[in-house]
Amino acid sequence: MQPAPPRSLGLLFLGFLSIGARAFGGVLPWAHRVMVEERRWLAPADFAEVVTLCQFLPGPNVGNASIVLGKKWFGLKGSIVAFLGFFGLPFLWVLALASLYEGFASQPGVKPVVTGVAAAGAGLFIGTAIKLARPIARKPAALVVIAGCFSAVGVGRVSMLIVIPVAAAISYLLAKRGLL
Amino acid sequence: MSLLLELGLYFSLLSLLSVGGMPSVIPEMHRYVVESRGWISHNDFIEMFALGQAAPGPNVLIASLIGWKIAGVPGALVTLAAMCGPAAVLSFWVAGIWDRLQGTPWRAVAQRAMAPMVVGLILSGGFVLATPGSTPDWRMWLIAAASAWAMVATKLNPLWMLAGGAVAGAILL
Repeated sequence: MQPAPPRSLGLLFLGFLSIGARAFGGVLPWAHRVMVEERRWLAPADFAEVVTLCQFLPGPNVGNASIVLGKKWFGLKGSIVAFLGFFGLPFLWVLALASLYEGFASQPGVKPVVTGVAAAGAGLFIGTAIKLARPIARKPAALVVIAGCFSAVGVGRVSMLIVIPVAAAISYLLAKRGLL
Repeated sequence: MSLLLELGLYFSLLSLLSVGGMPSVIPEMHRYVVESRGWISHNDFIEMFALGQAAPGPNVLIASLIGWKIAGVPGALVTLAAMCGPAAVLSFWVAGIWDRLQGTPWRAVAQRAMAPMVVGLILSGGFVLATPGSTPDWRMWLIAAASAWAMVATKLNPLWMLAGGAVAGAILL
């Protein structure tokens, strides 16, 4: 069966709702499952193309995908509907969870557990960075940029308002010379 | 009102700086709301981070939890809208242009230039979150290292690493 776009705004809304609501432990795999496997809105190659664009753009990746795909299929209306479908439930849940947590936060034994989860979450960031670094780790210039950004932002705590423009300019020049 | 306005403006700026997604701006968010402004403590910050990671949904909701901690439900709405808005407008606008840039050298160069920056920024996020008040705590680093290893070496759903972190936290911390 050929992939086909959602037939109505309602189906678009429900599709993105089911991505947001089920996305435990990372959104991208669920976006793939819903749009490519379950609802067959997109062929795998089209999905990969949208993801590349949305990772390139600033902002939440799948949030951007809701805007881009909504526009492609239904124009501005589609973007708004897909965006609301995607964020609606997770936003309510996370606030409900946080309010619930406030009541428990002062109980003994809660803080160590939450701190442990945060440390593991920090580890997931580090793991993600390692995975992303693998394909570029053989290029000395890439390692210099990584080390530079880490020393400035992570250790030196310099504002990203300064670091991003400087690093972007340097990276761009390096990439243009074929060093990245 | 001025607090909400400042939150809105600041998170809009973060939205445009979030190359590679939300994790890239975690260190900057921490620098501003904890270190520079003192709106919340480091502990509040990592609590909201942990809740946002454990709940289903996009990780940009960590921003709205931090907004909630600072200014209640209005704060949560303002930070989410600000964190997504500018990036969403940009996506809407770029969506058509991107296809036309396919195969052009500029697009390939820009993508290659971005990759190492994103790695450095996400690494910074992990480091800042695991290092409370800039004082190293080997127990937190141990948990972070184990979870990073599991992510790189296995195909487990990340929720297992968070659950492992909860158990390790209860024992070690």
